[in-house]
Amino acid sequence: MNRSIFTNPYVLIAPAFMLAAFIILWPLFQIGEISISNVNRFGQLRGFSGPENFMAVFADPQFLASLWRTVIWTVGIVAGTILVSIPVALILNEDFYGRGLARVIIMLPWAVSLTMTAIVWRWALSGESGMLNSALLGLGLIDQNIQWLAQASTAFPVQIAIGILVSIPFTTTIFLGGLSAIPDDLYEAARLEGANGWQIFLTITLPLLRPFINIAVVMNTITVFNSFPIIWATTQGGPANSTDILVTYLYKLGFNFGKLGEASALSLLMFALLLFFTIIYVRLAMRGERA
Amino acid sequence: MSLHWLKVAAATGVAAVALASAAYAQTVRVTVAEYSSKTGPYFEKAATEFEAANPGTDVQIEVVPWDVLQQKLTTDISGGANADLAIIGTRWLIDYVSQGIAAPLDDYITDDFRGRFIDTFLSPSVMDGKTYGLPIAASARAMYYNKALFEQAGITAPPATWDELKAAAEKIKALGGDNYGFGLQGKEIETDVYFYYALWSQGGNLIEEDGTSGLDTEAAYKAAQIYKDLIDQGLTEPGVTSLNREDVQNLFKQGRIGMMITAPFLSNQIKEEAPDLQYGVAAIPAGPNGDRGTYGVTDSIIMFENSQNKDTAWKFMDYLFTTEKRAEFDENEGFLPVNAQEAAMPLFADNADLKAFTDLLPSARFAPVIAGWEEMAAATSNALQRIYLGEGEIQASLDQAAAEINGIIEANQ
Repeated sequence: MNRSIFTNPYVLIAPAFMLAAFIILWPLFQIGEISISNVNRFGQLRGFSGPENFMAVFADPQFLASLWRTVIWTVGIVAGTILVSIPVALILNEDFYGRGLARVIIMLPWAVSLTMTAIVWRWALSGESGMLNSALLGLGLIDQNIQWLAQASTAFPVQIAIGILVSIPFTTTIFLGGLSAIPDDLYEAARLEGANGWQIFLTITLPLLRPFINIAVVMNTITVFNSFPIIWATTQGGPANSTDILVTYLYKLGFNFGKLGEASALSLLMFALLLFFTIIYVRLAMRGERA
Repeated sequence: MSLHWLKVAAATGVAAVALASAAYAQTVRVTVAEYSSKTGPYFEKAATEFEAANPGTDVQIEVVPWDVLQQKLTTDISGGANADLAIIGTRWLIDYVSQGIAAPLDDYITDDFRGRFIDTFLSPSVMDGKTYGLPIAASARAMYYNKALFEQAGITAPPATWDELKAAAEKIKALGGDNYGFGLQGKEIETDVYFYYALWSQGGNLIEEDGTSGLDTEAAYKAAQIYKDLIDQGLTEPGVTSLNREDVQNLFKQGRIGMMITAPFLSNQIKEEAPDLQYGVAAIPAGPNGDRGTYGVTDSIIMFENSQNKDTAWKFMDYLFTTEKRAEFDENEGFLPVNAQEAAMPLFADNADLKAFTDLLPSARFAPVIAGWEEMAAATSNALQRIYLGEGEIQASLDQAAAEINGIIEANQ
């Protein structure tokens, strides 16, 4: 069949591809160039340096520590978000009085900028005048103020909890879409056969929701891995770098210390890491789907 | 022949364009740091006044919050989109000078102009005998104390030494309630500086004469011990590593902190937010040998080497540093006068709070002019936070920070 060249799929996606390439590949190329150059703190290139910047990143003990913390941060938030969002989506999918209002309340945090949310939390977590301590004291759960942000052992879990909270709206939206795609007659048939709620959930809802869970995992992983505002607004990675993840460490390298070469090398490494794990996950998930 | 003709035409064209732009578009862009909500309006007003006095000029002010100033300047410079003038922290100036970003101002500075300044504040912007910036903002640190708490606790005079400070803190703690003796900052910008007050009082230095870090010295260990004791004995607010400078200042404004060391602008904030607070300003406590040091800070306004309108840009700088404009700015922001005539004005000369700061100026020390200082400050802050939290021994943590700093010094040589 002779198709017009204008309906060739490659031609049709070309404009979108060019735009994406311009926005993504061009900066990537620039960062690649900086990462193998001697560069001053104003981003001006001063000759080729080979792998020196990469070696400096690997030699920095903060890199490994931040990498490990990034893994905990990402897995903690993504897993926590999925675990909370599924029941929330199931409830919001039921027909009940005030559902519209409940949906709005769940979605509301999405409308607030992440930085604002993080700053409000910083105030709420303040040891001396924070809302959280007053609430806990008022409820009689604690008898003296907790200095939430003073040490990593309390600060980091709280930061992960905030991360989960702000990821729920987006994830719930995906799941609500997934749930509405499941045909009602499946549930009716299962109920006629005498299946209970838990059985229905395990054998119908969960398997049919899986593609949506996969999407939620991949999208959240990408966002959370690179999420900067929560940690920066509450602790700036401190005290003593104990809540630094790769992206806050990257910011310090680049903008506080002016080591743009090392920062470029690190951001390339982060890009490669994220790409690698996303591809692995997508392949695993897809294989499961085909089987 | 035709090539020659083309060249002439091109040259004429360029000259014509240059002339035209000289005649019509004397645009000067200025990047200013937002010190308070009054900063933007102040510079906008100065720009309008300047444009009215100098027809054909156009001054564009870009106000940038302090936290992102360094990032914004870096991005602008790497993209070649920087303004003509910019405010920068004077401690960053060495990078701007060594990379040829900042233009020397000596061709513009007359003796008369230089004579306007108090020398202490102009000198940090002088490098290799050339002046690269003018002190747009100057500040020092002194000790604020809460007079009401002092009275209740029966303390008659502000402490002159760290031993007296500790004794005073104990008395304030003994009052009970939600009051804390000494406000200790343990987070974010100037966490390291808060430690230097104690370090200098013990006779220590940030950088020793041999060019290595002064953190692995007896003076530094003793200084850290002073703060650690205060923390361990409950004489500071709890959770010091969760409070930045503003957080401690807020506790002071609430009247819950006996003593804290900070900048003159706290007086302005108290005037507006807690006018009933009874407070005084005194010298930073001295060490056993009478050593004492306050931290002097200036921010400089610099001219970029690639500016196309240097003459107009200089004229605007000159205007900003007239006595009247300086007085207006320093009164707004609560900075110290950098201009001798301005300092003599009753507004500043008769201000008791400011006097405590200006009295300390002879012992003012500035951040060392050394490449990579921000990274060294971060290494120091990290070590201090480990010490404050009890996660690291004093000597081991400071020795480690000193080694890091020495490594940075070596790498930058």
